[in-house]
Amino acid sequence: MTQMLEGIRVLEFATNVAGPFAGKLLADYGAEVLKVEPLTGDPSRQTGPFPDDIPHPEKSGLFLHLNTNKQSMTLNLEAEEGRVIARRLIGHADVVIDDFRPGLLDDYEMHYEAMSAGHPDLIMASITPFGQSGPWRDYAGSEITLQAMGGPLHGNGAPNREPAKLGGNTAHYHAGLATSLAILLARFRVEAGGAGDWIDQSVYEAQAGFRDRRTISLTAAAYSGLSNTRQPPGGRAAMGVRPAIDGYVNIFAGGTKHFDGFLDEIGRPDLKEHPDFGKQVHEYSAEYQQEIEGSYLAWLFATPKLEAIARTQRHGILGGAIMSTEDLVNDPHYRGRGVWETIDHPIAGPLEYPGRQLILSDSPKAPARPAPPLGAHTVDVLTQLGYDRAALPRLRAQGVI
Amino acid sequence: MTSDARPERDAAHRLPLEGIRVADITVVWAGPHVTQLLGEWGADIVRVEPVTTIQPYSRGAERISTEAQYRYMGSTGVTMGIPPDFDPGKDPWNRSPAFNSHARNKRSMACDIRLPEGREAFFRLIEQCDVIVENNVPETIERAKITYEILREVNPRLIMLRMPAYGLSGPYKNYRGFGTHVEGMIGHHLIRTYDDGTPDETGDAYTADAIAGVMGAWAVTAALRHRARTGHGQQIEMPLAESFLPVIGEYIMDYTMNRRATGQQGNRHPARAPHGIYPTTGADQWIAIDVASDEEFGALCGVLGAHALATDERFRTAGGRVEQRTALDAALGEVTRGFDKEELFHALQAVGVVAGPVHNDVEATRSPQLEARGFFEELTMEGVGTHRYPGIFTKWANTPNWIRTPPVKLGEHNQEIYVDLLGYSQEEYDALCARGLVGTTYTPEVLRGRD
Repeated sequence: MTQMLEGIRVLEFATNVAGPFAGKLLADYGAEVLKVEPLTGDPSRQTGPFPDDIPHPEKSGLFLHLNTNKQSMTLNLEAEEGRVIARRLIGHADVVIDDFRPGLLDDYEMHYEAMSAGHPDLIMASITPFGQSGPWRDYAGSEITLQAMGGPLHGNGAPNREPAKLGGNTAHYHAGLATSLAILLARFRVEAGGAGDWIDQSVYEAQAGFRDRRTISLTAAAYSGLSNTRQPPGGRAAMGVRPAIDGYVNIFAGGTKHFDGFLDEIGRPDLKEHPDFGKQVHEYSAEYQQEIEGSYLAWLFATPKLEAIARTQRHGILGGAIMSTEDLVNDPHYRGRGVWETIDHPIAGPLEYPGRQLILSDSPKAPARPAPPLGAHTVDVLTQLGYDRAALPRLRAQGVI
Repeated sequence: MTSDARPERDAAHRLPLEGIRVADITVVWAGPHVTQLLGEWGADIVRVEPVTTIQPYSRGAERISTEAQYRYMGSTGVTMGIPPDFDPGKDPWNRSPAFNSHARNKRSMACDIRLPEGREAFFRLIEQCDVIVENNVPETIERAKITYEILREVNPRLIMLRMPAYGLSGPYKNYRGFGTHVEGMIGHHLIRTYDDGTPDETGDAYTADAIAGVMGAWAVTAALRHRARTGHGQQIEMPLAESFLPVIGEYIMDYTMNRRATGQQGNRHPARAPHGIYPTTGADQWIAIDVASDEEFGALCGVLGAHALATDERFRTAGGRVEQRTALDAALGEVTRGFDKEELFHALQAVGVVAGPVHNDVEATRSPQLEARGFFEELTMEGVGTHRYPGIFTKWANTPNWIRTPPVKLGEHNQEIYVDLLGYSQEEYDALCARGLVGTTYTPEVLRGRD
């Protein structure tokens, strides 16, 4: 079976989340991705989580997850010979991904103009916090600061306290995904006879273009001159997160066209006769809201979260339960669909990973290969480049590989 | 970027999806984001929208509010449905920020697929499309009899992206959910809950739509590449929930490695402190600060003039700061409270401390960095007005790109699509319009049925 991205050769000079996620997506669906790591390895090898919390560079959950199906070599780009090797590797690549600070590609003499001379198909994608231009180009950014500046963070959380960031590394995953999309688009153009390009992906800008919350509310700001703000919990009747007997649910019923079914379900069909029934949720009187909420919370107090969801879904009501990762991994829905994939790593051993995102009728995803041990392919890559095996001890001694 | 300033694109640097046509039957938010991205990079997006019924949560047409009601919503900070100048106008379905924020570079044809006349037009469109994107509940597509098995008989080279919330199989198959509900079901909501709070405080974020939108466009582009090499179209099944799982991959791995469910994290980082959102001068003004080393902590205290913090024995090491972070956050917040967030941002960046002001929507539209990069673009919708819209979030050095057409109005391209593209005669087209099946406004019956 042909994989969608077979035959695309990718070099990844990127660390942590964004660049490696861009590369992982390409690798998982068939591209050949060579990860070029500093001699100490991608810092995500040190991040964890680790089995039993014992740090080990080949057992970091973050690294193992983000680097499936890749090869690894080590290369010191601070050494002149390291840069010579890097430039030769780029000469054989279709795609290069980096997350160097702006200007470093120039310092390394690896900038797009030079690398694409005589190699017009080349696609390079550079991921930076703020982009390759503009007054903040050289500023540093991290997950929380880029969400705060570019993304919808201001509107998340409770109004009486500080805004809350989105979970984990969401902004960097999103930016990596955006980079991977741009790479595929450029490659599609190259294979149709067009040219490659240098892709400039700013995490900040990806956050500003983060649909839904940010692009909708930036448009609303242009229309109304107002910003959306953090909303008080429980502010709207039968809308939003509420406690159930064994956790929380998030159900959108109040003011919707399925609200009658909801009232039946919570045992208050009489509230359909109220004059506020059929109004928009923010127009309900305080008294109507109290009637609804009292009965709703009492119903939830006797109803497990997933049962509450199942019973409201029957009426076409939007909703979901607030689950933990433990709930998720054990949930029969995803397990039955084969979402998890067990991958056997030579050092970390067999573990369950998030597997395919896509079910493809003509090009199913192949079983994954584990993330590479640090430098596992250094020798193979260099001998393919024409280095004599006898030269390798010298490169090693000189701190090049 | 104004039209007279637009640089040339040569043939080698044309937009990559020029010549690709996409049938867009998406609703709400995530699906339209897929076609937004495909359209931005050159595809011809044909939005198929009924005027004989209102698609909920899409054009904001099912509920028409008055100016007073929109002003009330604005006063409570719920802005996402507010039309320009709070004025719903005669055609509120062309004035929704939720819709107009994605609807650039799209064409719209009025067509109700569930009616025989609509099905005929839709199938003619499918014959001329490379891709169809949908994000309905699976039973809706099955009931409409427009599954991939049926559509590929019409066009064997078709690529069909289906993006239900949870999948085309399994117990949750027909569960209805927005991005925010999916985030709850897969664990993201709990992770972003304040570490010292409860899940009802964190509200709705709609992150899953942002991820699924880009991933959907990724999947379509990959499938187009596969088709160019093999000649084969295919169905892509991409549930919102499953497209989001990699984004919390490290937390899933913590469970599969250690059988440890990730707790509520809020703004905290497992290994770094200070790491959070701190108050600055003014109401609801904040700065994000993220310190990764002792040097950065020293530099932070230096800029803040916080000698007591810098010399506090509890905060001397990274381990101590993480362990004592509640005390540290409280002490730091007392100091940052006296600073302007923008001035502090630049002062901290100057000494290598990672910091950034929390920008609300209006502030974000005034960012000098986004301005310098030309992110926002001014677009004019006739009768709706001229406004600045968020632009294209990736820059290509040699392929200048901009929004080609403003947000599409309901049925704006009926004539050119029915007659020029689908081959209807003018008489046939006029008859469809006369019967109310095609138009640029919802039918009187539909409009009367609104709340």
